[in-house]
Parts: sequence; structure tokens; C-alpha cells
Amino acid sequence: MSKIKIVTIILLTVCTVNLSAKDYKASLFGVKSEGVTLNTKSIQKAIDFISENGGGKLVFYVGRYLTGTIQLKSNVTIELKEGAVWVATPSVYDYFGVNGTKALIVADGQQNIGIVGKGVIEGQGAAVLEQINTQIQKGYLRETAAQASPALIVMNNCSDIVIDEFNLMNACGNVQSYTGCKSLIINGVTVKSTSVKGTKGLLLAGCDGVKLSNIFFETSDTEISTTETSKNVSIMNCKNAAGKKLQTKN
Amino acid sequence: MGKANIYLLMLGLLFSVQLSAKDYKVSDFGAKADGITVNTCTIQKAIDYINENGGGRLVFEAGNYVTGSIYLKSNVTLQLNHGATILGSTNPFDYIKDKKIGWMSMIFAVNQENIGITGKGTINGRGFITANNMVNYIHRGIYTDPLKLDRPNETNRPQNVYFRECTNVTITDITLRDPASWNQTYDQCKNLYVDNIYVDSKSYWNNDGIDVVDCDGVVIKNSYFDAADDVLCFKSHSADHICQNVVVDNCVGRSSANGLKFGTVSRGGFRNFKVTNLTIFDTFRSAITFAAVDGGEIENIVVDGVRSINTGNVIFLRIGDRWSKGKKPYMKDITISNVYAEVPFGKPDAGYNYEGPVEDLPRNISPASIVGLPEYKIQNVKLKNIEIVYPGAGNPLYAKRGLTPAELDSIPEMRTAYPEFSQFKELPAWGIYVRHAEGISFENVTFTALKKDYRPSIVIDDVKGASFKGMLFNEPESKGKQQIFQQKSSNVVIQ
Repeated sequence: MSKIKIVTIILLTVCTVNLSAKDYKASLFGVKSEGVTLNTKSIQKAIDFISENGGGKLVFYVGRYLTGTIQLKSNVTIELKEGAVWVATPSVYDYFGVNGTKALIVADGQQNIGIVGKGVIEGQGAAVLEQINTQIQKGYLRETAAQASPALIVMNNCSDIVIDEFNLMNACGNVQSYTGCKSLIINGVTVKSTSVKGTKGLLLAGCDGVKLSNIFFETSDTEISTTETSKNVSIMNCKNAAGKKLQTKN
Repeated sequence: MGKANIYLLMLGLLFSVQLSAKDYKVSDFGAKADGITVNTCTIQKAIDYINENGGGRLVFEAGNYVTGSIYLKSNVTLQLNHGATILGSTNPFDYIKDKKIGWMSMIFAVNQENIGITGKGTINGRGFITANNMVNYIHRGIYTDPLKLDRPNETNRPQNVYFRECTNVTITDITLRDPASWNQTYDQCKNLYVDNIYVDSKSYWNNDGIDVVDCDGVVIKNSYFDAADDVLCFKSHSADHICQNVVVDNCVGRSSANGLKFGTVSRGGFRNFKVTNLTIFDTFRSAITFAAVDGGEIENIVVDGVRSINTGNVIFLRIGDRWSKGKKPYMKDITISNVYAEVPFGKPDAGYNYEGPVEDLPRNISPASIVGLPEYKIQNVKLKNIEIVYPGAGNPLYAKRGLTPAELDSIPEMRTAYPEFSQFKELPAWGIYVRHAEGISFENVTFTALKKDYRPSIVIDDVKGASFKGMLFNEPESKGKQQIFQQKSSNVVIQ
């Protein structure tokens, strides 16, 4: 075998290793699964660390993970294994947003990101809304309830996004909203969000290259809402609770 | 109505507005006192709201409020009612390392005025757990730190309180405990008032009592401190600033380091201090350490009324040349009076968490010391009405520093070393050792050794101008022993 071949093989091996980004267990970063520890800063630290160290998957095993707003970063995928639940904190001041929309999971200008697995994202919509209304009544929160209500997922100007398989439940605001995103694949997701009025299942604006497939929607408002500005949107086998096959609505 | 009257009325209105600052319950903002919920964002929201709406007190009623880093803002006082505890999150990632300050803390304030923490409640950093959690993250490669001395750097562990460049700061009645690093730091603040606080700070390495850095106008009184590291610790981090105009009254301290300490970082210096009615006990190092080792000055310091019981050392004044960067240090006009002190034979801080490190052996019991440098003499020190009881029993077979010129000159200058009373190892006196000084006066000073010591009570070396008035030496089996020994000294008057 010539030296060049050996070098090539070594190079290939190195590349393969790099490509198969690492898996990280959430507990490595001190994330607690008992359902009462607020994990916001630990999960964020984990995402920042993985993003800064070549990317990879942050894996959550069975358990309940209480958190406020998390910012997803490039080359990081969140995997929620069967039985893993991200529980949104009812505390209204633990949320922030992008583009004026608050959410549990936000991403702004990131590439190659994803949320996958058979787990659940539980928005605790009713509990969050109750807190919002109390704080508005007391005069401490000077936003409308709509402005203060966090969605589950809001992404802005992101690309190469994979949302796969898991369950999105009980958003306080809308469930998902994507603006100016490119190459977005959402497949096999179950959306059940009826605990709060006016919750839309999916909003698309100015997106290019969106594949929606095998999504079940049970929402208190419109399932899918897209604007004309979105291009190349395909919808395949998406249904609502009444069994109606969903099409693009503008 | 004259203009003056209108002016007065307006002033009156202003004051009443300030006085009638509102109380807000933190629970009204949704904070949970369950000892579990991390309330960081909610508490911060409450502080911001009060700051933006005319100021007031944020009231914590009885219960346990967990939080990570929060920033106190102008005209907001955290009122901790009896039974209210702010618990530091044990998750290091819940803390911010402030970019300007360069340290982690639970309660920050930067460039704010009229702020305070008051009430009979508690701030508990739970630092032992947090620091050890941090150690784990460092070992796992998740947080970067060299783990020097097998502990995270002091700046990578949260303090309880760090206020920087704040004006009119009030800290009263609270209990502060278990930080992961220093405890409470007031850095370049103006008008700091601390009254009746209780500090238990020995949960991790470097736990101090209180750190006052480059502040102007400070009152600390009626307070109790138990700390693993220095207790009442005044520092000067900036060569362009100075710690000045400080009153300390009626404080009690226990330490596995020093009681009243100037330094170690001492770049600008310390000026105009009056310390009265100070009690230091069970303390590993010195009751009083003044260190000018980084080019700073120490000037016009009065310490009056000290009880120093079971402390490893009583007085240690030191000029060094550690981080001076060409700045010339000086120390002058120090008066220490009305002191009663007992130095034990054994370890004074035995049994406390994070006991002080046994080092600089072999040495017999160290004397008090005043040690300058050949070119930087300590000037004008008065010791008046002092009684120190030592164990004596210095044994030359264990450690010996005799009185020959060669032996006295063999005492290292240690210009760049970290200053501690024990740094010279064996010293040639059992009562006090003075080197490189000018104008040292002793008046009504009693040194007692409970057992015979091979050394004289006092050695002065390179001292210009020393007066001894009303000296009394009690040492068994020592009739006729010369208790004051001089080398290279002039203008020495013994009355």
C-alpha cells in the first residue's frame, strides 16, 4: 500500500469521526430529571458547550426536565428519548423570545439544528397563562397576554432544521413558528395543544424549502398557517383530530 | 411664599418621597419560597420593576428562596424578614461571571446608588455544594479551570455579594453564610454602612468575612464574623484608588487566617482608619495584619481596644515588594492601644472547618513583628497599653535563631513573598521582632511568657529611633535576662 493511500485512509477515518458528531447525556451538565429543578442554565450550558465543541446530540432519557427558555445553537440536536419530558416552567419571567415572540425553545440565525425523539415537550399552557394574567392584573407585567404567552418553538433565519417524531403539548402561545428559515423538515410529530384558546399549530413566514409530513394536529386554532412569502412548501399526510387531511393555507 | 420657602418645600417633598418608598412582596411577582424553585428571573424582574417605578423595598417574607445571579439596582433594598432565606442555587451554571468585575456572585450591583440588604433574614450561598459541583464540571471538561491547589479559581466560584462602584450602600441586620468563594465584596464603593450583621463563612476555601476594596467612607459596626479566611479584610486592587475613611467599631471575629487585615492585594493603599473595640478569638494567624506589599501606602491608622484571645499571632506589620511595579510602598502613623492578647501553644483554630495550614516549620511560637524593607522603613508606630501573654517555651534544639550578627542577618528579607507572620520561620524574639523601622514607641507594654524561652522578649534590628517606657517582662527563671536586644539601631531610649 502506498503512502498516499495510507494518508488517504487516515484522513477519511478522521473525517468520519468528525462527521459522526458526539452524543452527550444531559446529566453530564448537571441537568436534573426529577421535575422540580429548573434546568434552564444547565441545558443552555450544554447546548453552548456542544455547539462550541464541534456539535452533537444532547440526549434526554426518561424523566421530567423543568426549564425556561432555551436557545438552540448551530450543530446541536436535542434528542428526547421515549419518556423524556421537557416541562415548561409556569414562571412567566423565565421566558424570552426572538422577533418579539417568546418561546420555550428559540433559535436565531443558527444552522443544522434539530429536535428529535419520542419524548414530549409539555408547555403547561394553562398554568403559564394563569401566571401571566396574575402579573398583568398586579400591574407588574406590562405586556398583553398574547405578547407574554410563550410558544413552544420559535425559529428565525435558521437553516437545515430537522423536527422529528416527538410530541408537542399544551403551548401557552402558538405551538411552532418559523420565519425566514431554509430547509425545514418536520416529520412524524404529534401536536396536541388545546388547553389554551387561540393556539395555532404551525406558522410559516418567508420560509424556503419546507417538508411537512405525517403530522397530527389537535389545536385550539388553525393547524397550519403559511403566508405567501413561503416557497417550496410540501405537505404530506398531515391530519387534524377530525381526520381532515391538511393542505397549505395562506 | 418666598423662593427659599418653595425650595424648602420641594426638598421636603423629595425626602418624603424617598422615605415613603414602597414595599413590594417578592411573592407577588411569583417567586416561590419552597426552597426548590430557582427564582432568578422572577427576582430580577421584581428588582427592575421597583427600580423603574420610584424605588422601594423588595420584601422576602419567611421562607426559602433559591436564586442564581441577580443584579441589584438603584433605590432598591432587599428586605429579608425574619425567617426569610435567600438560598444560592447549587448549580454553578446559575451564576454569572460579571465581565467588568471578573468574579461570580449571587447578588451583584454595578454602578448603582441607594441600595441595601436589610432585615433579620439570611443569605446562604450553599457554597460547599456549589464549589464541589464546579470541581466535578472541571474534571468532566465542561468548565475550564486549572484547578490550582485542587480547587477552582476564586473567580470561578460565586460570592454571596459583590457590589462595585456603588454609592450609599446599607447592609444591616442580615446573616450571611456559606459562600463558595469570598463572601461579600464592596469594591470602589462610596458610603458603605454595615451594622449588626452575622457572618458564618467557612464552607469552602477563601471564605472571607467581609472584603472592602478601595472604598471611601465605610462604617462597619456591631457585627460578628466567623470565617475560614480573613475576617475584616480591607484590600486595594487598584493602584489609582485607595481604601480610606473607615470606622470599625464593636466587631467580633474568628478566622483560620487573619482578624483585621489590610491586603494582601495592596496596590493603592489604606488611609484614615479608626478601629475600636475589636475582639478576635480562635484565630489561626494574626489578630491584626497590615500588609503593604504591592506598592500601596498605609497611613494614619488607629486601633484602640483589642481583645485577642487564642490567636496564633497578635500584630504583624509588613512592607514587601511583591507586585509594586515601581510604586514605592510606605507605612506610617500607626497607633495600636489598649490591647489584651493571649497566644496559645497549640493550634488556635483546631476543629473549625477549613483549618489554617500548618507551615513554615520548624519554628517556636512566633512573636509579633514589624518588618519593613531596608529601603522602605515602617515609620512612626505607637504601641500603648499592650499586654500579650505568650506560652514561651521556645526550645533552641527544635528551632534556633540566635543573636549573633550573622544569625540576625540570616533572617531572609522575603521581599516578594506572600506576607504572613510565620514567613521568616524562627525569629529571635518571643515578644516582638522589629526590623527596618523608624520611630517605634512602646508605652506601658507587658509581655508575659508562661514558660522560659531561649530568646529575649524583644529584638530590634535596623531601627532608627525607638522608645520603651513602662515595659514589663514576665518570664519564669529569667532574673537578670536582657529582654530587649538591639542590632544596627540608633536613638534607642529605654526608660
